Amino acid sequence: MLIGIDVGGTYTDAALIRDRQVVRAAKIPTRSELLSSLLEALDQIMEGVDPAAIQRVGLSTTLITNLIAEDKVEPVALVAIPGPGANPSGFTVFDDAHLIKGAIDYRGRETQKLQPAEIAEVMKKIEKQGIRKVAVVGKFSGRNNQHENEIYKYVTQNHPQLEVELGHQAAGKLNFPRRAATTRLTAATRPAYRNFISQIKAALQERKIKAQVYILKADGGTLPLEKAVEVPVETIFSGPAASTMGVLALTPEGQTSVVVDIGGTTTDLALILSGRPLLVSKGARVQQHLTQVRAFSVRSVALGGDSTIQVKADKLQIGPLREGPARCLGGPVATPTDAMRVLGLIDLGDEKLAREAIAEIAKQLPTNSMAPEEEPVITTARKIIDEVAVILTREINYMFSEWEQEPAYRIWEMMQKERIRPQNIVGVGGSAPPLIPLIAKDMNCQGIVPDNAPIANALGAAVARPTMGITLRVDTEQAVYTLAEDGTQERLVRLSKFHLEEAENLARELLKNRAEEMGLTEYSREAEVTHRELFNMIRGWSRVGRLIDVEVQIPPGLIAEWIN
Amino acid sequence: MQPTLKPWNQRRWDTMDPKSRSTGLVFFPAFDWAISPTHPEREERLLYTKDQIFEEGLMDLPQVVEYKAGFATEKDVARVHFCVPDVRAQITDAHLISVGSAMVLADAFMQGEVTNAFALVRPPGHHAMRVAHGNRGFCNINNEAIMIEYLRHKYGLRRLVIVDTDVHHGDGTQEIFYHDPDVLFISFHQDGRTLYPGSGFIPELGGPGAYCSNINIPLPPGTSDEGIHYVLDNLVMPIIRDFDPEIVVNSAGQDNHFTDPLASMRWTAHGYALLNEKLRPDIAVLEGGYAIETALPYVNTGIILAMAGLDYSHVREPDLQPGALKMSPSTKERVHEVVRDLQEIWANRKELARKRKEEVGAYYENNKRIYYDTDQIEERQTERVKMCADCAGYLKISSSAEKMWNNQRIIGISIPLYACPACQKEARDVFLKEKEQAKPTTDVIYLQDKPNDTFIEWSPYRKEERRY
Ligand SMILES: [Zn+2]
Ligand SMILES: [Zn+2]
Repeated sequence: MLIGIDVGGTYTDAALIRDRQVVRAAKIPTRSELLSSLLEALDQIMEGVDPAAIQRVGLSTTLITNLIAEDKVEPVALVAIPGPGANPSGFTVFDDAHLIKGAIDYRGRETQKLQPAEIAEVMKKIEKQGIRKVAVVGKFSGRNNQHENEIYKYVTQNHPQLEVELGHQAAGKLNFPRRAATTRLTAATRPAYRNFISQIKAALQERKIKAQVYILKADGGTLPLEKAVEVPVETIFSGPAASTMGVLALTPEGQTSVVVDIGGTTTDLALILSGRPLLVSKGARVQQHLTQVRAFSVRSVALGGDSTIQVKADKLQIGPLREGPARCLGGPVATPTDAMRVLGLIDLGDEKLAREAIAEIAKQLPTNSMAPEEEPVITTARKIIDEVAVILTREINYMFSEWEQEPAYRIWEMMQKERIRPQNIVGVGGSAPPLIPLIAKDMNCQGIVPDNAPIANALGAAVARPTMGITLRVDTEQAVYTLAEDGTQERLVRLSKFHLEEAENLARELLKNRAEEMGLTEYSREAEVTHRELFNMIRGWSRVGRLIDVEVQIPPGLIAEWIN
Repeated sequence: MQPTLKPWNQRRWDTMDPKSRSTGLVFFPAFDWAISPTHPEREERLLYTKDQIFEEGLMDLPQVVEYKAGFATEKDVARVHFCVPDVRAQITDAHLISVGSAMVLADAFMQGEVTNAFALVRPPGHHAMRVAHGNRGFCNINNEAIMIEYLRHKYGLRRLVIVDTDVHHGDGTQEIFYHDPDVLFISFHQDGRTLYPGSGFIPELGGPGAYCSNINIPLPPGTSDEGIHYVLDNLVMPIIRDFDPEIVVNSAGQDNHFTDPLASMRWTAHGYALLNEKLRPDIAVLEGGYAIETALPYVNTGIILAMAGLDYSHVREPDLQPGALKMSPSTKERVHEVVRDLQEIWANRKELARKRKEEVGAYYENNKRIYYDTDQIEERQTERVKMCADCAGYLKISSSAEKMWNNQRIIGISIPLYACPACQKEARDVFLKEKEQAKPTTDVIYLQDKPNDTFIEWSPYRKEERRY
C-alpha cells in the first residue's frame, strides 16, 4: 500500500492507496504545528492498517514556504565573487553581500585569482558578527567550481564553526543572482528542515512504518527523505505540484490539460502539455527572491469559493478579498460558495443563510438585469457563477498566451507555430464540480472532475516518481567537461571522436551515477535528452574544437505501482 | 500607443525616474543558422554572449523586458527591397526573424511599453542595398531600413536618424536612404581605404535632393574610445540635435572592438556602453562584430546596462591592460581633422544643398557598380531620380547582375511615402509604360508604391504579377 500526505497551508490531506485505488482519505485543518497535523492525518488513515504493508510514503509539506514567509530562518552571510560584468548592486540579493575579487569566465577559465588575505578578512568579519552560515557564490561557478572550493577549504580549516554552502552545489545553471538567492535560501532553511526530517523519521519509526519515505519537490519529482536535506528549497511549492501530479494520475496519459485547483481564497492554475507539466523557464520566484529552483508554472488567481462578492457601479465584483468562510457556513459576507448553495450545486452549510446573502447582492444590481419569471436571487446566483467562470477562463487563456510568448533562440523553435489548445479542464478542490463544466464549455474542452478530486494532492504526493536532471557542457578545445548541477569539471580523453552522440552517452552515464548516489537507480533508464546542441568553434577559418551542450532529464511522472 | 511621441530632443533618459525606465530586449542568436560552417556569421557567434548575459541575470532585472522574437512578412521586405526575382529567393526564415524582432521592439517602443530597445539578433543587414541580387558583406536584407519603413507606414513617422556604429561603412543603409532628406544617416567607420566595403568617404553626402543628410565619418585605424567620444561630442550629437528627429536608431555593430579579427580599431566594451548612454538611441539593432569571445559578451552586457540606465563601470574585458589603448598623436590629429571638415560642411549644409540641387536638371541620373562579395555577383545600376520642388521625387532603378552563368535584369520604381501627388502619378505611369514596353529579357519590373502600401513584382516573360 502507498501513503500520500500533503500538508498544505489550509488543509492537510492524506490518502491510502491499494491496487491503484484510494481506499481511505483524511482531511484536517492544518495547524501551526505542521508535524502534528501530518501525524494526525497519517494516524487517521492508518487506523487498523498493518504498518508492514506500507511500501512507500510520499510527503509534500508547506514547511519551507512557511519558514521563508515567516522569516524563521537563520541569518546567512553571502560571499560573492562577481568578477567583471553587471554591478551586483543592481540586484537586491547582493544588498549586504561581501564582494571579493576573483573571476571565472563563460568557458570556466580563471581570469582573476582569489586573494587569500581578502578572504581571511571577510571570514573574520562574518565570525565577529556572530553569523554561523555562509553562502559562497561565484559567477560562472557552474562552469568551474575551483574558487568556491578554495574558499570552502579555507573556511573549514580556519573557521570550523562556520557552515558553508556553495553556489555550484545549490544552483549550478547559468544565472549568478539566482544562484546567490538559491544558495542563501538553502543555507538559511537547512537547519529547520533537517530537524523536521528527523522528527518525521522518529515518528514513523514509532509507528513501525519502515517503508521508504519520499519528499515531493516543486517540479513534481520526489527525493528520498535523507537526500531532501541537501536541497531543502527544492521542496518549496510542493502543494501545487502535488495537485498537478494527482491530476496527471487521474487523467488519460499524454493529454493536454489545465489543472484548476479552486481553494477558498485563490485558484491555482497549472498546465499539463501532452502529459508533461509545464515548468517555469528560469526557476521559481520565492516571495521576492528569484531562484533557480525548478518548479511547475503555477498561476495564482485571487478568486476562490470564499471570495467576497460586492456590487460596484452596477457590476459584480468577486474577490480579491476573503473575509472568512461563506455565509452559509457562518461567515460574514456573500461568496461564490453561497451562490452555488442557492443553486443547489453543492450541499454545504445552511441554504437559508446562503439565500439571504445572495438576495442582498441581488438588491444592489439593477432590476432590468434580472430575468423575468425567475427569482432575482436565482438569477443573481447564476450571474455570480458565470462571472467566476469568465474570470478563470480569461486567466487560463492568458496563461497559454504567456507560454506561447516565451522567448525562443532557434529558428526551428520559432517555426513551431502550431498553437496548442487544452483538451481537458480538470478541477480539483471543493468548488470544482459546479464550475468546471462552465469553464470547459467556454473553452470548448472536456471538463473533468475526478472522483478523488478533493484529495488529488495527497494522491499526487503518493504516486509521483523521482525527477533528476543534468546539464552537461563539453569543451573539446580545453578538453574538459562540466556538469552544471555540481560544477564538476573533468578532463576528457579521445577528443577527436567526441561528437553529440558521445556527449549524450556521457550525460546518461553521469545521470546514472548521480541517480545511484541519490538512491534513485530504478528510474535512470527513463532519462531522456531534453536539449542537445553542438557548436563548432572556429578560429581563423578552421575548427579548433567543439562545444556541446546536452541536458538529460528524468521527467516528472508516475511510479510504476500506479501505472501498471 | 505613446499618446504623442515627443521629438527625440525633448526626450531625456537621464532626467527620467530610473524606476520607470525599461529596455526592451529581443535575444535571437539563431543557434541553428550559418552562412557556411566556418563563416564568421555562424551558429557560434552569440554563444558566449548568451552565456554572459544569462549568467549576469540581465533578463531578470526589472529594467529589462525580454520579448520573444517575431516574424517580418514578405511585404515588410518588399516595402524596402527589390528582391530578385522575388522576396522568397533572397531570404531565409532567419532573415525574417531577425528583422521581425527589430519590428517587435519598434512596436513595443511606439506603444510606450519600453523606454528604448535593443534587438540582439542575427543575421545582420547594413550592407544590403535596395536591390537585392544576393548576399553582400554577410547581409541579404536591411534590418534597420525595413524597420524604419515599417515605423513610417504604421505610425506615420517621418524624420529619423540612423547612426551606424559598425566598423564597416553601412553602405547598404546609405544607399537605401541616399535620396531621402528625412532620414539622416551617420556612419562612423574605419577608413574605406583600409577596410571593406571601401566606401564611406566624406563627399558621399547624399543625393541632390537630400544633400547633407548622409554623413560619413571615416576614421583612421587605431582610433580609440577617446577618439570616438571626441567625434560623438563634437560632431554627431550636435548634428542630431540640429536635425531634430522623431527617433534615433543605432545600427549597432561591435567590430570596432580592439580584439576584432576583421578590423583595426581600439574601442572597448566600456567605450561602446558610454556611446549608447550619450547617443540615447530609441532602438538599437545588432550588426557586425566577430570577436565572439573577447568582445561580444562584454560589449553586449555593456550596451544592455547602458540602455537600461544601469551601472556598466564593472564591465571590463579580462585581458584589457589599463592605458594600453591610447591613440597615437597622428591618429588623434587625423580624427580632429575629419571632425573639423564635417563641422564645416554641416554648418553650411543649407547653402551646399541648394547649390547641389541647382546643378542638376529635372532628373538626376547616376551609374553605379556594386559588388556582392559573399555571392560574387557583379551588378551595374542606373538610378534616375525626379527632382521635385514639393517632395523628394521618385526613383527609378535599372539594374543588371552577372551571377555565374546567368544575367538578371530588373527595373524598379520606388515612390516614397511622402511623395507629392504629381510625383506619385508620374511614377505609376512610368511603371505602366515600362510594363507595356518590357522586353522579355527583363526579368522583373517592380513598383514600390509606399503611399498605397502596395508592392508589385511583374514578370514580363511569364506575364505574371505578384503583389505584396
Ligand atoms: Zn561590420
Ligand atoms: Zn514631387
